[in-house]
Amino acid sequence: MNASLRHVMVVLLGCFVLLFVQLNRIQVLQADELAANGFNTRQARRDFGLPRATILSSDGIVIAMSEPTGAAEGFQNRRLYPFADLYAHSVGYVSFGRNSDGVELTYSEEILGRTAPRLTELADLIDQTPDPGTVVLTLDHGLQQTAKEALGDRTGSVVAMDPQTGAILALYSFPSFDPNPLADTNIGSANAAFSELLEADGNPLRARAYRDIKFPGSTFKVITAAAGLEHNLVTIEEPVFPETDSYTPPLTTAAIRNFDGGPCGGDLAQLLVRSCNTAFAELAAETLGPEIMVNQAEAAGFNNVPPFDLPGSVASVFPALDTFGAQLQEPNEIRPAGLYENTPKLAQASIGQNDVAATPLQMALMIAGVANDGVIPIPHVLAEVRDVEGDVIDTFDVGDGWRQSMEPENAANLAAALIEADEVGGAASVDGLEIGVKTGTAQLGTDPPRTHAWIVGFAGRPGEDPQIAVAVLVEGQEGSADQTGGGVAGPIARDLFIEFFDSAEG
Amino acid sequence: MQARNLELSLLVLGTVITVVAYGLLSVADGAEVRAQIVIFFVIILLLLLGAHVVVRNTAPNADGLLLPLAALLNGLGYVMIARIDIPKETDLAVSQSAWTFIGVGAFSATLLLIPDLKKFANYRYSLGLLGVGLLMTPLIPGLGVNINGAQIWLRAGPFSIQPGEFAKIVLAAFLAGYLVEKRELLALSNRRLGPLNFPDLKHFGPLLLALVIALLVMVTQRDLGSSLLFFTLFLVMIYIATGRTAYVATGLSLFMVGSFVSWRLFSHVQTRVTQWFSPFDIGPGEQIAEASFALADGGITGRGLGEGTPQRIPFAETDMIFAAVGEELGLLGATVVLAAFMFFVSSGFRVAATVNAPFEKLLAAGLTALIGFQAFIIIGGVLRVLPLTGVTLPYMSYGGSSLISNYIILALLIRISDSTPVADKQPALVDSTS
Repeated sequence: MNASLRHVMVVLLGCFVLLFVQLNRIQVLQADELAANGFNTRQARRDFGLPRATILSSDGIVIAMSEPTGAAEGFQNRRLYPFADLYAHSVGYVSFGRNSDGVELTYSEEILGRTAPRLTELADLIDQTPDPGTVVLTLDHGLQQTAKEALGDRTGSVVAMDPQTGAILALYSFPSFDPNPLADTNIGSANAAFSELLEADGNPLRARAYRDIKFPGSTFKVITAAAGLEHNLVTIEEPVFPETDSYTPPLTTAAIRNFDGGPCGGDLAQLLVRSCNTAFAELAAETLGPEIMVNQAEAAGFNNVPPFDLPGSVASVFPALDTFGAQLQEPNEIRPAGLYENTPKLAQASIGQNDVAATPLQMALMIAGVANDGVIPIPHVLAEVRDVEGDVIDTFDVGDGWRQSMEPENAANLAAALIEADEVGGAASVDGLEIGVKTGTAQLGTDPPRTHAWIVGFAGRPGEDPQIAVAVLVEGQEGSADQTGGGVAGPIARDLFIEFFDSAEG
Repeated sequence: MQARNLELSLLVLGTVITVVAYGLLSVADGAEVRAQIVIFFVIILLLLLGAHVVVRNTAPNADGLLLPLAALLNGLGYVMIARIDIPKETDLAVSQSAWTFIGVGAFSATLLLIPDLKKFANYRYSLGLLGVGLLMTPLIPGLGVNINGAQIWLRAGPFSIQPGEFAKIVLAAFLAGYLVEKRELLALSNRRLGPLNFPDLKHFGPLLLALVIALLVMVTQRDLGSSLLFFTLFLVMIYIATGRTAYVATGLSLFMVGSFVSWRLFSHVQTRVTQWFSPFDIGPGEQIAEASFALADGGITGRGLGEGTPQRIPFAETDMIFAAVGEELGLLGATVVLAAFMFFVSSGFRVAATVNAPFEKLLAAGLTALIGFQAFIIIGGVLRVLPLTGVTLPYMSYGGSSLISNYIILALLIRISDSTPVADKQPALVDSTS
């Protein structure tokens, strides 16, 4: 029997060797794959309870922090957002079992302290949990609060930035939401809160400022004007467009009228001041043509996703060249733009209607370019990352900006025209500041009529470079003569300028 | 005496390892457990010393590895159970320590009360009936209880036992006795069936009958693991007794057919097979998936005692305890467990090879096979080598019946190991069978 005994023993030991092989497969070979499995919550649970870096505004206000829960098992820390909905669309949130958003997502490694140099102390050899330091943002708390107060409970967005560096000074959309329940360590409560937000009216989770595109309306005329200047087809002073109260593009009978139904004309500077639809439409349809318009829009960032350091930002849209149809007539003396199948579409697009749609962020970038010698900066909310000792370990590299939208000379001329526009129109004027604006009232074509009220602008002290560029959108206003971009959005921009320069002084 | 001294030093080493592990656990958990460490150490040491003294007196020539290996596995299992108790806020470790005491008590009692196993061969048929009877008792309405889908428990008041755990020992003894008597007949072939030779049915009969009854009982009780184990035991013992691979071949074929048929017929079998093939399609928290996640999380060195989340694995203290070990003690810790079982199996088979008396030889082989294959079946299920079946990991899993019956098996192995005269430690020079 001993021979058979030996056989059985060998088989049984062989079975154990098989187990050993499989154990190696699972624990070593497949380890990474298993860790990434969607049902595996171990790493997620570990990460969720880690202490996270405190997030500060540029003026040192704590806008996100981690607080120990004191629990023996389970999550050791929870995330708190002291200002609730004020920073929801910028700082974002962490929530167990779902993707984070905002700064919490983009800079999650920095926030978890994983980018800091390790092993600063011998104790770090034993306790490998990184000590998160601080993340400082470019957002100015005072300005952010002003934005929220000024917008009130009207659906819309406010974006304010430094036109030279792209640092975002304020970023707020309404409706917003309180991210604190989402970060709850009680997962059931967090999930309930999330479901509630998904079903809430007005889609509060949506960061309209950089994820929603809307008709820009007359604010787009800055780009149309820039297109003319860049290609030397117009100057600030010539030609002078005739006073007319309507313009009918070729190939259509639908006339384009000015906002108040009255006549409008003048040189480019005056056209911007008075915001003439007729002249700009004519300029684009007859002189500029689709290719130049597409190029200028894209030079300003349209059809590109801005290199924004918050996740999920979307590209603003200007119709592609082929949507304007085939060329029907070559450019000639009478119509330098040439004639295209969809020239009427181009006329509409030039005044920010038809298929043109932009995020408030994009419009802020556009106007920042005007204020910054034509250079559109890289928008960012991160200022710097500090380690637990307070030493700066990373700052945002602004580089040479995002793109050159136009020549500095053209930018300067446009800026001057917009400054005059504000002096004349008074949409956002403040004593002692040099402010340039372009208002916009985008027709939504609904019945009863509704419009998006826009204003884009910049401000600086006389003789100095502008230090702040803004875009304000108040959506879906009841259409009536008073509800223009200037009337509704202008005061918000004005409040921002006052707050910015007040706090700069005080 | 060498064996006893080896045994003593290994027992002390095993105790130290267990206590150190327990200490690491309390470091991770906070200081509250620390004061109990010294008491813990002393109690375990005294318990194992007591067992050792019993062995010195009743089986002084027995193998010296078996008891320390069982004690080490028991200790590691205890520490893991204590660790899982913390987040789950249960007191299973307390119960397990009680079962350990009773188990070592049963171990000592078996050694003290049974000086000689030879007589048991005479009662083989009674043992067979007893074994089948024990298996069937959970089917008695009122006494039997269905827990987790398996009707294998008896409950009387606050106590529940699994008679099946003890039935296995009794049935192994029956098989050993029967096969010793009939083995020459079974090794002969009187009938041909194709290329294979078979003995007369009358010799095979009672054996097959007992097997079929036992298997039927287990399948209707939905205890797939035990039925697999018992079938393996039967095959192993008949192969060792006769040396005829024909039995193994037939047995495996019958097993294939039986498995397929039961898969078609029984939904609970289908569930197990589906879970085996696609454990990650089921959903979060499913045992097999969580076990794999836990093991992968452990990596080579493990998360560290108290640093992982083994409580997330369903049945972490019982069937899946190997995954908990793998998570916190890593590949290294899990390999130690595998190695312990491999050493146990080697020692057990060495005992079987060394002893001359055929009944004891077969019984030792059968008992070793029980421990070894049971460990293989459950670890195989945890590692997805086999479908998961509900058997315990010997000496490690939480469970009184399992622990006590395994200590009795240990005692029997040591008893058999001692019955070899010192002078005759060599295997027989002349084998009566090939």
